[in-house]
Amino acid sequence: MTNSWNDVQYTDCALIMGANPAENHPISFRWLTKAKENGGKIVSVDPRYTRTSAMSDIYASLRSGTDIPFMGGMIKYALDNNLYHKEYVAKYTNASFIVKDSYKFEDGLFSGYNAEKRAYDKTQWAIEKDAEGKPVKDFTLEHPRSVFQLMKKHYSRYDVDTVVKITGTPEDDLLKVYEAFCATGKVGKAGTIMYAMGTTQHTVGTQNVRAFAIIQLLLGNVGVPGGGINAMRGESNVQGSTDFGLLYGNLTGYLNAPTSTDKLNATLAGHLEKETPKTGYWSNKPKFIVSLLKAWYGPNATPENEFAYQYLPKGNKNYSHINLFKAMYDGKLEGAFLFGTNPVVGGPNAGKEKEALSNLKWLVAVDLWETETSAFWQKEAGSDPGKINTEVFLLPACSSYEKEGSVSNSARWMQYRWQAIKPLGESKADLEIIHELATKIKALYKNESGPAAAPINALYWNYGEGHHPDIDLVCKEINGYDVNTGKLIAGFGNLKDDGSTCSGNWIYCGFYPEEGKNRAKNRDKKDTGMSLYLNWSYAWPMNRRILYNRASCDPSGVPYNKEKAVVWYDAAKGKWTGVDIPDFVATRKPGDAGFEDPFIMMNDGVGGVFAPTLNDGPFPEHYEPYESPAKNPFSSQEINPTIQLFDGKFNERGFKADYPIVATTYRVSEHWQSGTMTRNQEWLSELVPHMYIEISEELAKEKGIKNKDKVIVSSARGEVKAYAMVTKRFKPHTIDGKKVHQIGMPWHFGYKGFATGDTANRLTPHIGDANTTIPEYKAFLCDVRRA
Amino acid sequence: MATEYVKFVDVTKCDGCRACMVACKNWNDLPAEQQDFLGSAQSHAKTTADTWNVLQYIEHENSKGKLDYLFRHSACFHCTDAACEKVCPENAISYTDFGTVVIDHEKCVGCGYCVNNCPFEVISLKEYVDKNGDKYRKAHKCTMCTDRLEEGLQPACVTTCHTGAMEFGDKAAMIKKAEERVKQIKDRYPNAMVYNPKGVGGTHTVYVLAEKPSVYGLPENPKVPTSAVLWKDYAQPLGKMMIGATTMGVIGMFISSRIINKGKQDEGGDSHE
Amino acid sequence: MSKPQKSNVKVRRFSKAFVWAHGINAISFFALYITALPMYTEFFDWLYPVLGGPEGARLLHRIFAVAFVTPTFIWVIFDFPGFKRWMKELVTWKKRDIDFFKEVAKELFGFKFKHVRQSFFNAGEKINSFIQIFTAILIIASGIPMWFPEFFPAAVVQWGYFFHNVGFGLAIAVVVGHIYLSVVHKHSSPGYTGVITGEVPAWWAKGHYTDWYDEEVAKGNFPDIDENGNPKKPTSPDSKKKKGA
Repeated sequence: MTNSWNDVQYTDCALIMGANPAENHPISFRWLTKAKENGGKIVSVDPRYTRTSAMSDIYASLRSGTDIPFMGGMIKYALDNNLYHKEYVAKYTNASFIVKDSYKFEDGLFSGYNAEKRAYDKTQWAIEKDAEGKPVKDFTLEHPRSVFQLMKKHYSRYDVDTVVKITGTPEDDLLKVYEAFCATGKVGKAGTIMYAMGTTQHTVGTQNVRAFAIIQLLLGNVGVPGGGINAMRGESNVQGSTDFGLLYGNLTGYLNAPTSTDKLNATLAGHLEKETPKTGYWSNKPKFIVSLLKAWYGPNATPENEFAYQYLPKGNKNYSHINLFKAMYDGKLEGAFLFGTNPVVGGPNAGKEKEALSNLKWLVAVDLWETETSAFWQKEAGSDPGKINTEVFLLPACSSYEKEGSVSNSARWMQYRWQAIKPLGESKADLEIIHELATKIKALYKNESGPAAAPINALYWNYGEGHHPDIDLVCKEINGYDVNTGKLIAGFGNLKDDGSTCSGNWIYCGFYPEEGKNRAKNRDKKDTGMSLYLNWSYAWPMNRRILYNRASCDPSGVPYNKEKAVVWYDAAKGKWTGVDIPDFVATRKPGDAGFEDPFIMMNDGVGGVFAPTLNDGPFPEHYEPYESPAKNPFSSQEINPTIQLFDGKFNERGFKADYPIVATTYRVSEHWQSGTMTRNQEWLSELVPHMYIEISEELAKEKGIKNKDKVIVSSARGEVKAYAMVTKRFKPHTIDGKKVHQIGMPWHFGYKGFATGDTANRLTPHIGDANTTIPEYKAFLCDVRRA
Repeated sequence: MATEYVKFVDVTKCDGCRACMVACKNWNDLPAEQQDFLGSAQSHAKTTADTWNVLQYIEHENSKGKLDYLFRHSACFHCTDAACEKVCPENAISYTDFGTVVIDHEKCVGCGYCVNNCPFEVISLKEYVDKNGDKYRKAHKCTMCTDRLEEGLQPACVTTCHTGAMEFGDKAAMIKKAEERVKQIKDRYPNAMVYNPKGVGGTHTVYVLAEKPSVYGLPENPKVPTSAVLWKDYAQPLGKMMIGATTMGVIGMFISSRIINKGKQDEGGDSHE
Repeated sequence: MSKPQKSNVKVRRFSKAFVWAHGINAISFFALYITALPMYTEFFDWLYPVLGGPEGARLLHRIFAVAFVTPTFIWVIFDFPGFKRWMKELVTWKKRDIDFFKEVAKELFGFKFKHVRQSFFNAGEKINSFIQIFTAILIIASGIPMWFPEFFPAAVVQWGYFFHNVGFGLAIAVVVGHIYLSVVHKHSSPGYTGVITGEVPAWWAKGHYTDWYDEEVAKGNFPDIDENGNPKKPTSPDSKKKKGA
């Protein structure tokens, strides 16, 4: 989230798309309800009329996988009707930048496409630079090769007729949404976009979010209270886990993991050169990387040994979930640790993922319960235990109430939690399990040398003696300290690249600025202004609650909306002030370089309408889902040309002749992810005890299905049994003049626990987004029949 | 009793999260009871002895032909004039100082009269087995967390409601709030109304409904059943009187014939025979 | 002073079937009464432990409820002629029935009275029968939805409670009178023995149900007797034998 949950109450219009917060992020509705009371509008765009739709002022349906046409149409609508925030677009975005003439777009392909590699040469989309290396700009936005004009041209193809034809959205509803949301382009108005997995779990997931970013920049909605692009996290600590390097391409704090595919990464100097831009805040990157290496390798990281840079693994592959399981399926993985994850229920094409597990020699599962995954070898799972040679270890883990630590919520708030009860039985906190594992592995390698032993021996593991790591030491290391004096670092601005400071995660540097002052433990309920609650927990970076808040003011530093001001330039004091911490260098004065550049994390200081860094193009372009019932009306490219394709049995693909119905998966309030935590809880299980599919009255009639009937849903990957919930909340779409049905189903079920049922993910495909490889759970083809 | 309290439920603010259901089970320590698939998102058809509040999910095409998806937290209304209290033969049901209606399980004999006379059908019997293996029943329903109210807390469902769809407070203030709210939402829900039925003397759960009561399966004009009034206010007192009167009559005859008119009767009898 | 001794000659007034039916009716009625009493009024809550708690009381009430339904069937199946006569008498009303009430009032309070000639059932018994039939139907019909509320609309169950209550109130009033007359009232005691054994003294039968007795005499079933109950001379030995009514 650029903003926070509380901040949603200040919105004039909330566009909720690819998300169902009423059901999946209920707490958000506390604030959305307030927004409504304050006169804000809520717009829900979803294939299914959800509880969020029920709470909305405007609802528009669309076929799963057509978000880009929907948003592309909105971009065109805003541009055509002059509804965009002109000053903001000219000054705060790269719309004024001139793109090199090598940039082209033809029939769904940008220039530089290599069909064999299924990849682009992104240099062809580069921005023109002047002699000083600064972007060439045209603030009139008239230049034919300005980003603005290219964007206008690109989205001129997304006219209402074509959009309606492919999304299936009724034209009236579509225009109502465009009108309501684009009204926030008016100076002083704020609109927020709230999204979740319905946006990202597509082969064009990243570009879906990019489309949101473009419209929000056009409407001047980023950096303002009640605005922003707000990803609602599906787990209490998903934000924290990605902050701390959960994604395979990241170290911590969104520092890129070095890969061997780029020769520059062979040395630390080369890596720093490659990673560090000349301008923008990322120009400080060497300080963060070196401080991280100092945190990991301690005294073993010295300027002489490149701060132990060579101990970092440098892979050359895509290590995403799908690829890991592909490797496992192909017998290329020996063992696996699964911490609180249940891919036999939660993974795409889950039947194949279960098969893949049997190729492991060993599997360590760490969980609160025995899951469908740790029990994959059992008869109940449909396996023949005699034929599976995988040795499975199940380690009992603690629940959140049995341990101490922090979680970071969607609003980037790092909130400390204290232990409520002692761990039950032999269960242990994850941290404790890792700690014991690390200390034991270190002990085993202690007297060894060589390439395998060196990184382990060099690893600095200093969290106290015994089984229980000292969590306060972990906190201090995350924040960072002066390695010579041990003094805690006040903020990441004080980190050094000479090895004198360490910080386990630079974006969190500052949460523990001095002894005894762990700000994640702050619990002051006083509203410090604009419901920002600055003294409640700690929001990275540097407790800033609204990212890019400089953009809420005009170039001279005066808030666009004086009633909802969060920061402003105080000419008398000669610095920035306000109720939020400026996400900006507060001491910059008018005339100073960068005073008018609000997006400090961008190399050029402005928001990226044009993003020449993404794998699938600088502008979002519509491609159909991997499995689609329709022809792409925008080009001859049916699917995203840069997604990685998997052949063979690992991923069977279905086509509309056999599987004419669009399907999507989702969650319910009462169950959490693969259901391990909730299907073992009776009070939650009784609320949603059965696997079901939601199906329109029209499709039910066609198939002779009555409400509560048992049905079988089949895809190219498998079949599941479920109850039919015949509902008015799904309606068939008219796509290119033909009726296309869509169904939906929860994906929480498995055979363990109190609430049991077939696993929806046996149907979903092994195909991922071109940038993140997040699986396309949200749009695939299926068929339905009576059981 | 200084203030009369009510639970105010604004269904148009409810997002159907069902935290109220779980909070209720948690506070009152009620067991789960897994149901068959009901064909909608709803978990239980109605309240039961172990599920004191049920969230209703209703797909409703409104007067404009548009689909509404309506939610309602359904539980005991705590009527001011409660049919259950009236018909209970054991005086096991009573009003508290808070205006709530509670069942005393020491006194309850499980007859089910309350179950069958509640105009809102919120009371149910639960079967227990004692240590001898014998079965017995008790009637159960929402207590409005009277045990919490006594400690100065609010009902568990109200405390947990995150959208503010539920509030607990002074009756007059809540009704005023409800009426204000109805004015605000008339555009979106033309049939919106305050539901505080007079037939049961008003309730201690006051609703803002988005639609007519019948859409939620609620009676438009609920009242204490006429049969219950006739029964408890007339038939039973009369019946008791009648037994008394008859018995008195018999005693009167006995005394008259055996003592006062002893001689004469013998004579008469004799003369006849 | 000595009165003439009443004769021991007896005649059969009730069939075995009726005796059973009546007995079951009476016992089950009282059992139902007792098992319902603690719910009817709190004054009798102390009965719960006696009856095995509310559950015991409920179970017994239901067992006796079934028993309560059976007498009619017993009578109909095993003594249809008797049942038929009852039905016939119930619909036959003459001046003697009106006269009966005038006299019975005097008798009950110990005033001088005379017997009005009655047939098998006297007018009082007929009224009793009517009310008992009416209340039994009310009680049984309302009891079924009370027992099985899940099969009936709520309104039916609710009205069931009312009618059960009303039926019971009426029935108990009548039953109290009925029992008084049969058990306590001294002129009726032969009738009480009769309803248990089926036999009554001939003199008593002739006195209370003169028309019926004479009818039976005419049929040759009963002996003709004098006012002390001794058979009038001359009689054949056969005619002394009692025959069921």
